[in-house]
Amino acid sequence: MEEAFRVIFSAAFVAAVLRVSTPIVLPALGGLIAERAGVTNIALEGLMLIAACTGVLVSAYTKNAWLGLIAGVLLATLFSLLLAFFYLQLKADLILAAIALNILASGGTIFIVYLLINDKGSTASLVSGQMPFIDIPIIKDIPILGPILSGQNLLTYVMLIATGLVSVFLYHTRTGTHLRAVGENPDAARSVGINVKLQQYLALGLSGIFAGLGGIYLSMGYVKFFARDMTAGRGFIALAAVYLGAKQPVGTLIAGLAFGAADALSIQLGNLQVPTQIVQMIPYIATLVALVVYALVQRQRAVNRQRKFRQQQAASV
Amino acid sequence: MQTTLPNPASGYDRAAELQRVRRERLQTALIDLSVTLITILVALLIGFLVLLIVGKNPVVAFQALLTGPLSRINRTGRWLEDATTLIILGLSVAIPFKARQFSLGAEGQLYVGALVSTVIAIYVPLPPVLAILVPIACGMAAGFLLGLIPGAMKAYLNANEIVSTLMINAIIIRAYDYILTYILTAPGSQTVTSADVQVFSQLARWSDMLNLSLGRFNIGIVFALLLVAGVWLLLSRTPFGYEVRMIGSNEKFARYGGIDTKKVIMLSFAIGGAIAAVAGSHLALGVHRRLIPGISFGLAFEGIVVALLARNNPLLIPITGLFYSYLRVGGEIMETQASVGSEIVQVIQAVIILLITAQVLADWIKRRRARRVA
Repeated sequence: MEEAFRVIFSAAFVAAVLRVSTPIVLPALGGLIAERAGVTNIALEGLMLIAACTGVLVSAYTKNAWLGLIAGVLLATLFSLLLAFFYLQLKADLILAAIALNILASGGTIFIVYLLINDKGSTASLVSGQMPFIDIPIIKDIPILGPILSGQNLLTYVMLIATGLVSVFLYHTRTGTHLRAVGENPDAARSVGINVKLQQYLALGLSGIFAGLGGIYLSMGYVKFFARDMTAGRGFIALAAVYLGAKQPVGTLIAGLAFGAADALSIQLGNLQVPTQIVQMIPYIATLVALVVYALVQRQRAVNRQRKFRQQQAASV
Repeated sequence: MQTTLPNPASGYDRAAELQRVRRERLQTALIDLSVTLITILVALLIGFLVLLIVGKNPVVAFQALLTGPLSRINRTGRWLEDATTLIILGLSVAIPFKARQFSLGAEGQLYVGALVSTVIAIYVPLPPVLAILVPIACGMAAGFLLGLIPGAMKAYLNANEIVSTLMINAIIIRAYDYILTYILTAPGSQTVTSADVQVFSQLARWSDMLNLSLGRFNIGIVFALLLVAGVWLLLSRTPFGYEVRMIGSNEKFARYGGIDTKKVIMLSFAIGGAIAAVAGSHLALGVHRRLIPGISFGLAFEGIVVALLARNNPLLIPITGLFYSYLRVGGEIMETQASVGSEIVQVIQAVIILLITAQVLADWIKRRRARRVA
C-alpha cells in the first residue's frame, strides 16, 4: 500500500497520466461538441483508427510527419462528415451508421495495411513520423512541475489548449450558442431561424477533427506505428468522459484525466501484483454512477424550474 | 371508444378488409425482401470493385468467399457453429431494437451467461439433461438481471443507454477476465483457461452423432431455433410483444394509450439480456467446452448486423444469421486461398449496414405511395 502511494504521488506518475489521457481527452472534446449539438457520436473510435492509420502511412511514404498529421485529421473529418451526410441527408439511423463506420474503420485500416506491407499486426516494419516532444524553457527547470509540464508531446499541449478553446467556442461565441441551442431543443432553435442541419454538420465535422488528433497522437506520439485496433476502446471511453464530465469542457478534461489516471495506475499496480482488471474497472463504475447522478440532477432541475414558474404565475395573479 | 368502431351492418365487409390487409402485408414483405437482396448485392459489388481497384484478382477471391464454406464438410461445420451464435445474438438484439432502444449490452450479457453457466457446469454435479438446462437457465437469469440495470436506468432516469451498456460491457469483460485468471484457472497452469465442463453439461456435437466431421457444430442450433419460435411468439402473439411494438412505433402514443412504457422498456433490455446469455452458454458449453479469455471478441456487434438485416423480424433472423456467418467464414477461407485480407468482409458488412439504415427513407416513400394507390 505504502509503495502504491509513493507511485501515485510521484512527478513521473502525473506526467504519465497526462501522456495516457491525451488520446482520451482529445476525442472526448470532439464527442462533447457533437453531444451538445444533439448528435451522439459513437464513431469516435473508428475515426481515431482512420486518422492513426492514415497518419502513419502518409508520414512513412512522404517522410514528413506533418503531412501525416494533416492527411490523418482530414480523412477523419471527411468520414465524420460522411456520417453526418448519412444521418442528415439520407435519414439513416445515427447510431447504426456510426457502428457501420467503426466496423469499416477497423476492417478497412487492416485491409489496407495488409495490402501495402503484407503484415496484419502492425506497421512496425515502416519508418513513420512522430509529433515533436517539447521542452518548455524556464518551466522545465522547476523541480517537480518541470518533469510534469515540460517535455510532453505537442498534442498533449494541444489537448490542454483545446479544452479552453472549446469552452470559449461553446459559451462565448454566437455559433457555439446556436450549436447548444440545437442540442437543447432543435424545434425551438429552428423556430428562431437557426439552421439545425448546418450546426449538426459543423458539430460532427469538429468532432472528426478532434478524434483525428487523438488518433494521430496514438500512432505518431504515444508510439510510432499503427497496430490493429490500437484505439482499444478509447473512443468509447472518450464518450464516457463526456458524460462523466457533465457535458462541460473542463469537466470532460478532468474526467478524461481520471480515466487516464486509472489506466496509468493499473499499469503501475500491475507491477505490484495488484490485479489490473479491478483498477481498470473503477472509471467505468464511476461513469455509471455519474450517469445516474446526472440524470437525477437534471430531473431535480426540471422540477425546480416548474415550481419557480408556478410561483411566478401565482405572484403575477 | 365504442362509438368509433365501424358498424358491421353499414356495408363493412370484414372478409374483404382482411384480404386487403393481407395483400398489403405481403407487398411490404416483398419490398423489404427485395430491398435487402439489392443491398447485399450492391455491397458485394462494392467489395468486388475494391478488390479490382487494389489490383487483386476479385474472381478468385470471390469464388473462395462465396463457395468456401461449402467446399469442405469441416468448413460447413464451422459455418453452422458460427451461425448458431449469431442467430441467438441477433434475436437478443432484436427485442430492445424493436422498442427502439439501442442496447449495446449483448456483449457483456454474453460474457455473464458464459461465466455463470460454465461455473455451474463445472462445479455442480447434475443428472443428464438437467446438467445442460440448469446452467443455461442460470446464465439466462444472470443475463436478465444484467439487462435490467441499463433498462431501469433508461426507463426511469432517461440515462443514455448507449453509454450505460458500453460501460457495463467494459466492467463485465474485466470482471470475467479477473475471475477466469485468478479464480477459475488452476494454480500453476501454463495457459489461462478454466477446467473443462462436466461431460453431461457439454452440448453434444453433430460430428459425434452423425459421424461427419462437422467440427464443433452442436445441438446449440436446436436451442437457437427454439428461441426463434419463442421470440416470434413473444413479439407477435403476446400483449408484451404488442406493447414493445407500440413503443417502437410511437412511444408517446403508447404511453397515451395506457401502456406502462417504463416497465416494458426495462423488460425489453432484460429479456434481450437473457437471450444474449444463451449465446454465451453456447460458446462455453458447446463450442469451447470451457472458458477461454475473450470468448466473444465483439460478436455482439455482428449480432446487430444480423438483426438489422432481418429488420428485427425473428423469423428472418435464422436466414440473415446463416447468410452473415457464411460471409464471415467465407472471408477466412478467402484470406488463406487468395491472400486477400478477410477484413474486406467487414467493409462489405459496413456497406450493408449503411445502405439498409439509409434505406428507411426509401421504404417510407414506397409505403406511402402504396397507401395512396389504395
